[in-house]
Amino acid sequence: MLGNSPRISSFLEHYGIVVIVVAMMAFLYASRPDVFMSLANLTNIIKQNATLALLALGMFVVIVTAGIDLSVGSVMALGMMCLAVTAKAGVPWPIVILIGPLVGITAGLVNGLGLTVLRLPHPFIMTLGTLNIARGLSSLITEGAPVSGLGREVRYLGQANYDFGFFPPPTGLPASLFVVGISAVGMWFFLNRTSMGRHIFAIGGNPHAARVSGINVDRVLVYVYAISGFFAGLGGLLLAGRTDSGFPLAGQNAELDAIAAVIIGGASFFGGRGTVLGVMAGVLIMGLMRNGLNLNNVSPFWQQILIGLVIIAAVYIDVLRRHAAVRR
Amino acid sequence: MKKLILAGAALALMSGTALADKFLLDMKGPGAGNPFWAAVEAGAMEKGKELGVEVMVMSPPTESDVAAQIAQIEDMIAQGLDGIALAPTDPNALAPVVDAAKAAGIPVVFVDTKGSNEGVTFIGTDNEAGAKLAADYICGKLEKGSEVAILQGIITQSTGQARANGSKAGLEACGLKVVAEQTGEWDRAKGQAAMENIITGNPNIKAVFASNDNMALGAVEALKSAGKLADVMVVGFDANPDAAVSVLAGDMTATVAQAPKNMGGFGIQALVDLKAGKTIPPVIDTGTVLVDKSNAEQYK
Repeated sequence: MLGNSPRISSFLEHYGIVVIVVAMMAFLYASRPDVFMSLANLTNIIKQNATLALLALGMFVVIVTAGIDLSVGSVMALGMMCLAVTAKAGVPWPIVILIGPLVGITAGLVNGLGLTVLRLPHPFIMTLGTLNIARGLSSLITEGAPVSGLGREVRYLGQANYDFGFFPPPTGLPASLFVVGISAVGMWFFLNRTSMGRHIFAIGGNPHAARVSGINVDRVLVYVYAISGFFAGLGGLLLAGRTDSGFPLAGQNAELDAIAAVIIGGASFFGGRGTVLGVMAGVLIMGLMRNGLNLNNVSPFWQQILIGLVIIAAVYIDVLRRHAAVRR
Repeated sequence: MKKLILAGAALALMSGTALADKFLLDMKGPGAGNPFWAAVEAGAMEKGKELGVEVMVMSPPTESDVAAQIAQIEDMIAQGLDGIALAPTDPNALAPVVDAAKAAGIPVVFVDTKGSNEGVTFIGTDNEAGAKLAADYICGKLEKGSEVAILQGIITQSTGQARANGSKAGLEACGLKVVAEQTGEWDRAKGQAAMENIITGNPNIKAVFASNDNMALGAVEALKSAGKLADVMVVGFDANPDAAVSVLAGDMTATVAQAPKNMGGFGIQALVDLKAGKTIPPVIDTGTVLVDKSNAEQYK
């Protein structure tokens, strides 16, 4: 059928996921024509999924190396708590906004070094450890209490909204959209146009071959986990800004949402394959689904079931597509 | 040698009985830093001092660590003690260990959260009545037929259910229209997202009842960025310090305070009564108070 035409099948291979996003949007529009395409709702979708998008970008780099980073949700909370506490302590804002990402990078370096220096058998173990450590530290900082009132500048990236004199006031393009956009483009450039990026894909495709061909695999892996940590910390900055609060239980299970978005977006769990565009589409699919189900007042229990089904279906479609490609 | 050990053991036993009665308060989470549990702890300690009994306070490191709480209680039963006031992290998971305590002749009462064991007294907030209190407050400020929304907690928990049911019954009883009920899972960010969706789908709502203050504060953020905070009143539950500050600043309109100190105090009192062979009622309400600008200062 479709697979018979090489042009169409190649188009679907690269942009099939975008077609799914568009189809979902059409479906949601049909279900709530009065609300779904309203500027307010579209603004909401962006604001609500910016943090997930950042976590997913970080998770994506890790998954390309056939790794996993379970710590991102906890590291995000740790970043939030650290920056909230320093903001409350009166530290100037230009330093405070660096704290989230710096905490993230530090946690990522710990992950990467633990994996490579301690020679733990799988990143699952190291990052499961740091998942717990970072969550414990987040609670320890204030003995479990949330910290509110962060100040306008600290909140800017998570809170600001540009109406460009065009959108009616509450709607507009959130600053977080630009953070995600710049991050995604930067990530695309890094993975596709730098030698480090190519090494990352090489390691995921075949770590042994990569090592033999002279790539310093350990060094690349440390960078990869630091990148994932950085995005977790940046996500923490956005979420803290959005909620005007650091709370130690933030981002529980966010790592699973990030993994789901990356996998739905077509990245392979075995490494070496996936695109930034796919990851962004994966995030949107998760976000659109939640938004649509909320707008239609569907029970949260059904939401969980549907998200589970979509994860399975998305990967199955990918398997079929791959089969078709091989036969051709 | 054996005799010596036996004598020693007997002595230890005797001195054990000579000491004051020993009661355990096992809470869902540590009191340090969490004002709610700190107040439960303080109430129990004060009552213990007043009645001249020893009160030990324990908790798992986090409210989700069910296994740690079970292990603590098993260990304490093994050591022997005179009563347990328990705030179960998971009522069903804790049921067997509560039965074990009763089998060992140790009286048990539940504080804050009702367990699933039959015949065990529950001492805590009547959450349905508390949510009704909030609903009545909203009713008193709005015209009949106005649209209102409810932000639910985790609806699989009894507290989440009681607050959702109590508020809905109260709001509908006075002729308000509940147009949206969504869960924010007790979480500030999720409550904020749910509120954004609610105001998008229902631009005419006049009030929201949030089942806890975290979600209420998230709802305030959502309303602020939509420029609608002046049109929509936000009422929460718990009266935590952040919420009290928000009420004083005029962002949140009101919240509902529980009386956690009573939970600790009434809990120890009930155990002492049970130990003395008295009967106690199956449910002891510790009460709720509506908190608005007039009395928020004391909850800061």
